[in-house]
Amino acid sequence: MGVILGNIVAIYRKELQGYFASPLAYAIAGAFWLLAGFFFLAILLGPDGIIQQAALGDLQGQQQGAPFPPLDVPYEFLRIFLGVMGSLALFILPILSMGLYAEERKRGTLELLATSPVTNWAVAVGKLLGVVTFFITMVLPLLAYEAIAFSASNPPIQPTVPLLAHVGLILLAAAVLSLGMFISSLTDSSILAAFLTFLLIVFLWVSDIIAKSISGPVGEVLGHLSLLKHYNNLVQGILDTSSLILFASYIVLGVFLTAQSIDALRFQRS
Amino acid sequence: MIKVEHLSKTYGSTPAIQDVTFAVQPGEILGFLGPNGAGKTTTMRILAGYLPASSGTASIAGYDVHEDSMAVRRSIGYLPETPPLYSEMTVEGFLLFVAQLKGVKSRDRKRKVYSAMERCNLIEKRKVLIRKLSKGFRQRVGIAQAIVHDPPVIILDEPTVGLDPRQIIEVRNLIKSLAGEHTIILSTHILPEVSMTCSRVTIINRGRIVATNTPENLMEQIAGGIGYELEVEGNALTIKKILQVLPEVRLVEAIPAPDLPEKRCLIRVVSERGAEPGDKIASRLVGAGLSLYEMRRTVASLEDVFLELTMEDTLVQG
Repeated sequence: MGVILGNIVAIYRKELQGYFASPLAYAIAGAFWLLAGFFFLAILLGPDGIIQQAALGDLQGQQQGAPFPPLDVPYEFLRIFLGVMGSLALFILPILSMGLYAEERKRGTLELLATSPVTNWAVAVGKLLGVVTFFITMVLPLLAYEAIAFSASNPPIQPTVPLLAHVGLILLAAAVLSLGMFISSLTDSSILAAFLTFLLIVFLWVSDIIAKSISGPVGEVLGHLSLLKHYNNLVQGILDTSSLILFASYIVLGVFLTAQSIDALRFQRS
Repeated sequence: MIKVEHLSKTYGSTPAIQDVTFAVQPGEILGFLGPNGAGKTTTMRILAGYLPASSGTASIAGYDVHEDSMAVRRSIGYLPETPPLYSEMTVEGFLLFVAQLKGVKSRDRKRKVYSAMERCNLIEKRKVLIRKLSKGFRQRVGIAQAIVHDPPVIILDEPTVGLDPRQIIEVRNLIKSLAGEHTIILSTHILPEVSMTCSRVTIINRGRIVATNTPENLMEQIAGGIGYELEVEGNALTIKKILQVLPEVRLVEAIPAPDLPEKRCLIRVVSERGAEPGDKIASRLVGAGLSLYEMRRTVASLEDVFLELTMEDTLVQG
């Protein structure tokens, strides 16, 4: 057990080191922070932002004499902002996961990993932990922005709600990255891996919408598979075990399929 | 130490290797020689556990490469055809990573990495990013990663590709110095490499083993006796008739030599095994009134052996 843990740590550290040395990683993180900062500002303080809407609502309420339905600014902001972050992740996660195995295959280093006394799933777990850690690093600055914004809210917001929402974002990312890792293990072309992962995420994202147009058990199953639905649950502060189980299943499925595909598919490409 | 029996591998419907059987004794260096595309890399990959065989068995240190894959992986060091390197790591960082991956205990790791770097002449480059190394140094890092955990069996797929002549000599000496403690199998398509480093040679062609022996025995086996090259003035056919009479002569043939002066020809004579009929050849030629301009003994090279073995096979298959 100690040996396996040691192997996972070795792979994990190698992956992290890889991100530090990779220009692509810096570019992705930079673009993500830029876009996230822009959306943060626009949603909070922009002309159509939450605060403007709340002010407008107050004004209308005074003019019409009837009280306007109250707007819970911090929670509303969190919902919209993390919704946008989820969509942004849709574009960024395939780029993070595309090279996980495709690059190893292309550089021939998969041959090293596959002939070392390390199990395939230990490699897969180490890689997934590495890329999820990188994603968490990308999300951390957002927490700082929010902490500043929420500190001004009156009455004060409960810290568990934004924390749960971000746990949701990270779980969502881990699930997508795990599946993306599996797709990456099927090919030696990073671009192809990114594109296929993107298609898969779009499908899992909108399967809720598709489900609504299909009735019967098929539609129901599709609805449950939807990432969007379960992500929104967590963002709204609803801690539902079925959501956690769904994300965990996607993560385990991705790791499992990756380990299997390395066993089965390396044979056909040489 | 390494035992391969009736190994076959088919990609789709094309056979890569067929019925390959050989064995490597502990401490031995076996050269796996063959033209490009003969199935060397496929065999190496099966031994390293990277590919499964279609049929047949291979075992290393008593463990079956397919059944006991983990035990086999612990006992081998493997340099694939393209050295598996992470270009963003430093030489030392990469070797530490590989050592950890191969299960070297953390207290031994630094020492073993240092010793591998020393043996591969990498000490001065240990803080350099692999990306910035020349091809020769990368190849050496590849060899270092194969020996860093002191495995009993080392599998090297074309270890000297891309090196300059001086580096090739260094690598050959390194490989020779590893023999004894380690059992080594190395593949190559370069002939001198085998005669210089290996204690035994297996020649593979079109996926089949055509010979296994020591380099000396192979040369002896093919060439049979001693060869002579003669430069004589006269008709090649007449000379052939004169020399074939000798019982010690096995073969007489004319070698095309367009740059010789007119009327002269170049003749190759191969003696029967154990015979040395140089004096008789000379006296017969002179006795027949022919002028002998040059006569020298030739030793069959491994190259002849290789060509003969791989050509024969081509003829059989054609």
